[in-house]
Amino acid sequence: MTTTLEHTETSAEPRGGGLARYQNFGTAVVAGVIFAWIGWFIARKLFWSSSDNFSDQVATMTAVGWMIGFWIGIGAFNAPFRWLLGNDNSRDDDLYYAGYKQGRARYWKYTTDHKVVGVQYIIVTMSLLGVGGILAMAIRTELIVPGTHFVNQQVYNSFIAIHGMVMILALIVAVAGPWGNFVMPIMVGARDMAFPRLNALSLWTLVSAAVLLVTVLAVGGLPVGWVVLGTIADQAGVGMDFFAMAIVVFTVSTTVASINLITTVITMRTKGMTLDRLPIFVWGTIITAVLALYAFPFFFVAELNQLLDRTASTSFYIAAGGGTSWLQANLFWLMGHPEVYVILIPAVAALFEISSTMARKPLFSYRTAVGAMVALSGLSALVWAHHMFTSGWAPTLGGPFMVTTELISIPTGIFFLVLVGTLWRGNVWMKLPTIWMFGFIFNFIIGGVTGIYLSDVPLDEQLHGTMFVTAHFHYIFVGSVLFGAIAALAYWFPKVTGRYLDERMGRYSFWLVFIGVQITFGAMFLSGLKGMPRRDASYSLAFEHTNFISTLGAYIIMSGMLVLLGAVITSWRRGEPSGPNPWHANTLEWQVPTPVPLENFLEEPVITQDPYHYGEELVGQ
Amino acid sequence: MATSSGKRSLKTFYYSWGILTVVGVLLAIWIPKRYMPHMMSNDGNLSVTTMILFSVLAAPVAAGVYAAAIHVLRHDRYKGDGVPPAAEQVRENTKLTVTWLTVSAVLTVFVLVWGLGALAAENSSSGNPLVVDVTGQQWVWTFAYPGTHVVSNELIVPDHREVEFRVTSVDVTHGFWVVNFGVQVDANPGTITTIHTTPDKLGTIEVRCEQFCGLNHAFMDAVGHVVTPSQFSAWLASQPARA
Repeated sequence: MTTTLEHTETSAEPRGGGLARYQNFGTAVVAGVIFAWIGWFIARKLFWSSSDNFSDQVATMTAVGWMIGFWIGIGAFNAPFRWLLGNDNSRDDDLYYAGYKQGRARYWKYTTDHKVVGVQYIIVTMSLLGVGGILAMAIRTELIVPGTHFVNQQVYNSFIAIHGMVMILALIVAVAGPWGNFVMPIMVGARDMAFPRLNALSLWTLVSAAVLLVTVLAVGGLPVGWVVLGTIADQAGVGMDFFAMAIVVFTVSTTVASINLITTVITMRTKGMTLDRLPIFVWGTIITAVLALYAFPFFFVAELNQLLDRTASTSFYIAAGGGTSWLQANLFWLMGHPEVYVILIPAVAALFEISSTMARKPLFSYRTAVGAMVALSGLSALVWAHHMFTSGWAPTLGGPFMVTTELISIPTGIFFLVLVGTLWRGNVWMKLPTIWMFGFIFNFIIGGVTGIYLSDVPLDEQLHGTMFVTAHFHYIFVGSVLFGAIAALAYWFPKVTGRYLDERMGRYSFWLVFIGVQITFGAMFLSGLKGMPRRDASYSLAFEHTNFISTLGAYIIMSGMLVLLGAVITSWRRGEPSGPNPWHANTLEWQVPTPVPLENFLEEPVITQDPYHYGEELVGQ
Repeated sequence: MATSSGKRSLKTFYYSWGILTVVGVLLAIWIPKRYMPHMMSNDGNLSVTTMILFSVLAAPVAAGVYAAAIHVLRHDRYKGDGVPPAAEQVRENTKLTVTWLTVSAVLTVFVLVWGLGALAAENSSSGNPLVVDVTGQQWVWTFAYPGTHVVSNELIVPDHREVEFRVTSVDVTHGFWVVNFGVQVDANPGTITTIHTTPDKLGTIEVRCEQFCGLNHAFMDAVGHVVTPSQFSAWLASQPARA
């Protein structure tokens, strides 16, 4: 299956590439803006000349123009177009696309090398976390005292929607993006992903969607909440059109990426890499990819319906036209709950990998761990309506959905068994990844237990829609997933850069973020228990103290994240050199040189046992 | 230390487990009582009880995981320099895995039985409820009492009589939530959703919107009172008829 570029015999400077030599992120943005204007012009002057300057139709056409222009500008269409003309890419062209001998410039281009795509995902994740984090600080600043002082309600309402969706996007790609692309192919002994061009496509469609999503703030915002419930979304301005278009393209990106990951693992494993010798992170990645393949089409349809309601006078969600908002809610949560596990599972799987390496012990109950991840993703497809317990839709289904939801605590419990079981009686190496892992264990218990309250229908009828829910899923997303993602970053950072992530700054960052999370979301639980609704720009005096504490905690989290950012930047440039295998791990990505050469392996490795044998050498290469 | 095989002291584990369980149980009882709203209906009381019960059950489980982590931090941390040597290569412990699965399954089944029972109790109706028609619109609540001409922005209900809220909206989706009754249901345009509960204490109640509904969502509140049946009739009679 593996095709090789045989680059060793090529001249130092490949002459291929053609048009791609002149294309990068800059030309993509320029072309995107030009085509957005063309889209606007066509819509405004030719089709809807009687409408407003910026009606829903015009905005949608503008967004479509941006997407098409961006993809043309980055070079996504070059190779398919040449193929159509019967003039396929030559070997030199493919070498150029793989980023061969292009230095840093390749990180800004439509590069097919999976390691470059992995690094690009790191940068995209960090940028999205930055935008979402700034919005989070604005939200907490507004909530520091009752009343609207810092931003007005309209702006606040937009901030919560964009904060929510930007952070969801960031976390969906936070682990599976960088490490599913950078290390996963090496882990299975592949030379690249199965479809390298589609890999670049999934990254750059994500970028085009993310830019459009943030642009929503500049076109009137989206003051309707991140769930964009059908009836209220109907009242939103053109920000909603940009939002829906961004989601539609984002789901295309995740689908393409998922197919790529699954195909790579199925078809490109090296000799001897049987399924029960797969590193656990690879299992986590493909289980996630399968789940994403199931979940995100619902999101695609949910937002496409929304767009059609707004631009083409359909009435999927409009009660007056025979539609129902419940359809939107169902489609949204059919995506929305599996999506939680699309976010969680890669982080947990990365921590499994880290726990084994750092404890110098095999992963505890490998098969049970795989089984738990499979069970969790299966169950997650059957629980969506627990988000709608209080919506009034299908009250008879409250019981069945309570059953499926609470069954989730069994596979989730196994995660703790595997993690702690692996560490138990190990020789635990207390490095940066290990420390963040302990933080994960602490927070994930809190996030998990508070989820059980919400799964209980009668109790949910008190807690639903309150800050309790917000605190619960922030313990999962920030306290657990983000901690797992940072552990993964600290663990694989040496493979990407050849340098350690600074241990001292990393520890400062850990303590700030860890303490900040307890203060912020601990106090938020209390706000919610007392009865403070979510998404409120202001609140009554009863919630004064807990909100003040939450805001202080949020600033502590922010300072911790800034320290981490500083650690990443300084370590990347001049951190302590690490060598190819600083953790003395046995998985394949640590057996290749750092920096990893194009195509990863000079010779295909042969696997004779799973990677969890310590105290003996693993691979005969 | 971890390198020596065979029996080892689990003192750290058991002490931490014990202490953390006690702390957890105390918090589990204190926090809901201290922080949840003053509950004035059967459903409201039930949510406080459930909150306490689940927290008490969760305390030993969470404490067990924390205690194991503390034990690892204390005894299994590698204290030397450089790369730690390989630990004993244990891969499975069937007894532990089966025990863990059994315990979590039993707890889950208990939580389920409790929840389904409570749900059934909540759904059962006395058969003669007082009906209140609730309408949400951006950003006020109105309460109408069928059979009378009364339309009010205050929610007045008598105690010890089941009340059924029939909820709808004239614009977007709102979330009707009587904080002190522990019940909520969405107000959807074009549809009527119902929820019922039985108030059991006199006093002031708060109504909030818990479903994001636009600009002034944060201020879509209403107040109300649970009164005696005779006060309730008097209040109905004193209200001016509105269209």
